[in-house]
Amino acid sequence: MNALLLLPIPILFLILGLIRQTARWLPALAAGLMIVQLGIACWVGVIGVCAPITTSADFGLDGVGAAFLIITTLVATAALFHAALLLPAERRETPEISDRQLCQFYALAGVFLLAMYGVLLAQNLGYLWVAMEATTIVSAPLVFYHRSRHALEAAWKYLLLCSVGIAFALFGTVLLVAAQYPTGAASLRWHDLLAVAPHCDPRLLRLAFIFCLLGYGTKAGLFPLHNWLPDAHSEAPAPASAMLSGALLNCALVAIWRLAQVMIAAGDGALVRQMLVPAGAITVLAAGVMLVRQHDLKRMWAYSSVEHVGLLTLAIGIGATPLLLLHALNHSLVKVALFLLAGSMLHLYGTKSLQKLSGLLRTVPAWGVLLVAGTFAIAGSPPFGTFLSEWLLLRDTFGAGEYLAAGLVITGLTITFVALATHVSRILFGQAATITKPAPTAAWSVAPAVLLTLALLTGLALSPPVMHLLATIGGVVR
Amino acid sequence: MHISEVDLFAAGAAFLAVLMCGVAGMPSLLRMLALQTALLGVITAILGLSWNAPHYLWLAGVVLAVKAIAIPAYLAHAAHRMQIRRDEGIMLNGMVALLAGCGILIASYFLSPFIAVAPMGHVGAAGMALALLVIGMLVMMTRRLALSQVLGFLVLENGIFLYGLTQTHGMPLVIEMGVVFDVLVGVLVAGVVIFRLNRSFEHIDVTQLRGLRH
Repeated sequence: MNALLLLPIPILFLILGLIRQTARWLPALAAGLMIVQLGIACWVGVIGVCAPITTSADFGLDGVGAAFLIITTLVATAALFHAALLLPAERRETPEISDRQLCQFYALAGVFLLAMYGVLLAQNLGYLWVAMEATTIVSAPLVFYHRSRHALEAAWKYLLLCSVGIAFALFGTVLLVAAQYPTGAASLRWHDLLAVAPHCDPRLLRLAFIFCLLGYGTKAGLFPLHNWLPDAHSEAPAPASAMLSGALLNCALVAIWRLAQVMIAAGDGALVRQMLVPAGAITVLAAGVMLVRQHDLKRMWAYSSVEHVGLLTLAIGIGATPLLLLHALNHSLVKVALFLLAGSMLHLYGTKSLQKLSGLLRTVPAWGVLLVAGTFAIAGSPPFGTFLSEWLLLRDTFGAGEYLAAGLVITGLTITFVALATHVSRILFGQAATITKPAPTAAWSVAPAVLLTLALLTGLALSPPVMHLLATIGGVVR
Repeated sequence: MHISEVDLFAAGAAFLAVLMCGVAGMPSLLRMLALQTALLGVITAILGLSWNAPHYLWLAGVVLAVKAIAIPAYLAHAAHRMQIRRDEGIMLNGMVALLAGCGILIASYFLSPFIAVAPMGHVGAAGMALALLVIGMLVMMTRRLALSQVLGFLVLENGIFLYGLTQTHGMPLVIEMGVVFDVLVGVLVAGVVIFRLNRSFEHIDVTQLRGLRH
């Protein structure tokens, strides 16, 4: 019952977004409503953490779902709060953007949020697939909000590659049903699967896992299936980029996590580890290398998301569910702040090219400070939460005896740090650009500042009791 | 190997997919897709009757109405409005693609015992499903136009649907319906994107879309 309380506000966005006349006040209303929604999600989430909520046989909220529910709603709240400043300002300056377009953004954002809730609440891997494909279909139009050629191309690539990827996950899901033939069952309910997994046909089950990993791995942006990700995340309007990076990637990882648990229940945890640990480590290294040659601010953050997906996959691979939750939270907080800042800078400077952005510390000092903090945080420096979660993850990787993977990750993280520091210092210092637009108000700094403060707090607050709590959340299902 | 009528219809669908490899005309491609999907609808109905599961007749109806009629008709409408008549392939010309399709079909036939779930009794259909899946990917990779890629995706999806239908005791019906719905909405959204691509680039040749390679 409780979980149904999450639905009204996104549905309201859909309804209001379909009415063009709401364009004038919808952004502000949506920002306000999202704060209410965040309150509801936290309440439902905390209940879900304490005791799993069962809405129906196929939907419910367990500890991991609840944790990601709160993260997702937090990301959407920050994104839509910032959108209330960014989108109307853009709309005033670019006459090509119509009222209808602006309203559509909110309608799609509402459905997108619902689809992500569907992924997180699904206790049935079939519904999970349906919801995951729905997120692709709904977010592709968000990517081409600006209707530019690049945005269209990115949206097409995103829609096609992710749909094909997800089709493989569907094949994997079908194989999951087929693998149950020795037991006579044909259920996709996650708990049923955990129970029957030891009696399934092991060969088909392995195939199922590999296909699902291929599919959801495409959606998560694992190397070498990440091709679409930098395009889509950099061409989408900043609030949508923030939701794609901070919330949708997590959803794909939750899917991989659920399948990994099925394999572990089947006694095939070795396969999970053999697949996910190298995949994660190589993704971190590859993303680090690709970060070196970047010319575009938003693409840079997109590649950085690929890197963090690698870290999170590694966390699933070594079975460190508490670290999956912790690092996902940290990454989402920081990355959303950075994408929102990048959106503001794109609006102010009219470009996101790293060659043309300079002197931010002089032009808008507040944003400069936030960008410094965010960059340090995303590169995993103390005292931010990311430092601790990356540190603990490395410790556990060494502890699990995956020395090669740990070595690759350390190399990747080092390259990333240097690359990000070089690119960002060029933006911060140098000649201040001449800006014709009026100076931005302090409100533009609110969402990134709040998110980065939270990222700082997760670093400072991490203590044995918190880790114990995370371990309980991750272990509720067992 | 015992050949049931399910295997026979599945083979028909796979054969149509092979033919699609060699065809360049958009209207005939779409007709073949429609016919292929209709065969899958028939298989759904046969299995529904043999399992004595009347709700599978509903699924058969939905597959016929949505995937075999509505989607090809929508794509045909899109092709007509953008005045697309042919899609000559890239990399492989029609004849070579046709041969590749035949090769895939033969390979899938011999692979079928390995991927089939033996107790379900439709070993042949499993191979045909694999053939549809691989040929769908082949079509996506060897065609120039965005519209043909959607077509290839639909063939691929048909393969997955066929496998799920013949190698399990029936996927949960609500999920099958959800998949059909996702495919329908996905094709509609893809159609919108293709229309916009056509409007701003004045073509939908995906090999010419290279603006984002940095």
